Amino acid sequence: MISFTTWDVVRNLLLSLPWTLALSFIAFLGGGLVGLLLLVLRLARPRIFERPVAAYVQVFQGTPLLMQLFLVYFGLALAGVETSPMAAAVLCFTFYASAYLTETWRGCVESIPKGQWEASACLALTFTQQLRYVIFPQALRLSVPPTVGLVVQIIKNTSLASVVGFVELTRTGQMIANVTFQPFVVYGLVALFYFALCFPCSMLGSWLEKRMRLQH
Amino acid sequence: MHTSEESVPLVDIRGLHKRFGSVEVLKGVNLQVARSEVICIIGKSGSGKSTLLRCINGLESFNQGQITVGGQSVQTADPDSLRELRKKVGMIFQQFNLFPSMSAGENVMLAPRLVHRRSREECRGLAQRLLDRVGLGDKFDAAPHQLSGGQQQRVAIARALAMDPEVLLCDEMTSALDPELVGEVLQVIEQLARDGATLIIVTHEMAFARKVSDRVIFMHNGRVHEMGPPDEIFGAPRTPELRSFLSLPAEGG
Amino acid sequence: MQQASDLRGGHPMLDFSSVLAAWPDFLGGLAMTAVLTLLSCTLGTLLGIACAWCRVYGSRVVRLAVASYVEFFRNTPFIVQIFFIYFGLPAIGLRMASLPAAIVALTINLGAYACEIVRAGIEATPRGQLEAAQCLGLGRWHTFTRVVLPPALSRVWPALTSQLVIIMLATAVCSLVSTAELSYVTNRIAAQTFRQFESYIVVTLLYLSLTIAFRRLLQWLGPRFVFGCAPIGGAR
Repeated sequence: MISFTTWDVVRNLLLSLPWTLALSFIAFLGGGLVGLLLLVLRLARPRIFERPVAAYVQVFQGTPLLMQLFLVYFGLALAGVETSPMAAAVLCFTFYASAYLTETWRGCVESIPKGQWEASACLALTFTQQLRYVIFPQALRLSVPPTVGLVVQIIKNTSLASVVGFVELTRTGQMIANVTFQPFVVYGLVALFYFALCFPCSMLGSWLEKRMRLQH
Repeated sequence: MHTSEESVPLVDIRGLHKRFGSVEVLKGVNLQVARSEVICIIGKSGSGKSTLLRCINGLESFNQGQITVGGQSVQTADPDSLRELRKKVGMIFQQFNLFPSMSAGENVMLAPRLVHRRSREECRGLAQRLLDRVGLGDKFDAAPHQLSGGQQQRVAIARALAMDPEVLLCDEMTSALDPELVGEVLQVIEQLARDGATLIIVTHEMAFARKVSDRVIFMHNGRVHEMGPPDEIFGAPRTPELRSFLSLPAEGG
Repeated sequence: MQQASDLRGGHPMLDFSSVLAAWPDFLGGLAMTAVLTLLSCTLGTLLGIACAWCRVYGSRVVRLAVASYVEFFRNTPFIVQIFFIYFGLPAIGLRMASLPAAIVALTINLGAYACEIVRAGIEATPRGQLEAAQCLGLGRWHTFTRVVLPPALSRVWPALTSQLVIIMLATAVCSLVSTAELSYVTNRIAAQTFRQFESYIVVTLLYLSLTIAFRRLLQWLGPRFVFGCAPIGGAR
């Protein structure tokens, strides 16, 4: 029987790290774009998009990510689309991230005092101008700490992509554990890898939040 | 002047000094309060009134001097001794500080049940009687945030009285109230005074102080500047600082 | 995992009949999900409160230990945590069946998040509350349990509720270590009926109803049993 050293394990895990990062990045980017669109739709008058977007958010926040992944995977297959684990994972995570991001950003916009809307309206700005020059710049500042928190959440959740077969850090860990019969070491190392990715981001988020609170 | 049977004061403060960092707030305060006496402490902000009050029940430590309440000396470094002291000394705060998770009645019941370990029914009865006494008998089950400021402060008074303290400290108890709610709280305190309670009151309500107190203390720059019966203090102030505080024109010459 | 190509050109019509016929199995899975949720939420919240106490009032060593625990479990994925507990620990002699492993994993995970949530509530206690408690002669235990904790929980109840819902959804991950809760049962039904999409639609709707009901339950439970009269979101 071949024996594996800890370094073998680490080396193989490192090889899968880019996939975790890539999925996280694409999910954040795609989710961010969709989320932003949903936010603008939700704020637009007439408020016809309020209910649908709220329902959309409720679905993604009220159901397990695991089930969402399976639904997308089998749903795409049913629709006759050729699904690879990667495609299903990217699609599902994009929508999942968009729901959380849009809800967080909506909270930031709503915490901006009504007076800002009123003042800019009284200056005869259009809705788009209000958003672009008055509301979003302020909301952007407020949104940085919670968005960093969501980035951490996205990175952690990419671990579930392993159940649809996408080979990222957790899936690689599973495969290595099955081969080496050393689940304690392997899963321990996998956890440490995620910690190394997420902890600095979390610390950055707290630091930013503290700085923002002090500035007020 | 010889006094009555009680020649030992209930509250005895000697040579009290208190510093906050480099700022000396109390610069040698001497004060004796007899049982059933009502004392009002007046003075500008920063004169040390509240600090003096908070030293009496150990909320603030002091650097020099001695405080004795009912024969027990105030030792701020000893938590058990402080807890014993606080069974004798009650406090009413400017911000009421009612416990938001409990109803008015439960607020009043809490300390007798936990500290004196009396039974639930006994404490409930006590709480109801005290709430009746402050005019809030029907508010036993009301949540604090549902009551007006004046009502909350009256519940706070009932809560302090539930411990049957020998002396009650009142720290600007009406300063956080809307003007129309001040009267109801002062009425309760006046009744307590008539009932023979020992009260040390820090207040800005001059008319009230004149009406209810046996003695008025005017504090200035961390010391007892003038002291005397209310008619003397308010009617014939001797020092220019007191005259200026009471917004009276300075004496000529 | 079935390949997508196996299903191409398969049945385009949605057929829920065979899936809905398996409702007793769904019910069993639902019961298990409920048990997992209730047990781990209760234990995890208690753990969180204890850890919050340690972080606020404990000695330096205790605070450091709790902070390490909190940071580790908040910065690693739940699936890795439960794999470690169920697959990894037996390698050093700590063997657990899947249900206890699931409860342990969920509890420890919730404990870390709940600690931070409750700690924020405790640290927002106005100074006057503590002084009032002192002046009434209340000791440290009574001050914490009667004066500090209930209003702290009322302040953070919305955040705590959200976290408990997240834990309920995390029970689905426990299916990966063979805990027979709702997702596990659904996987089995999907495999047996070959109606994967329909199965997952049904269970998604079930989960949605569960989370809505759970949230309502917690809104009702808070004032009644946890924090008395204090309004949700904090007094004043």
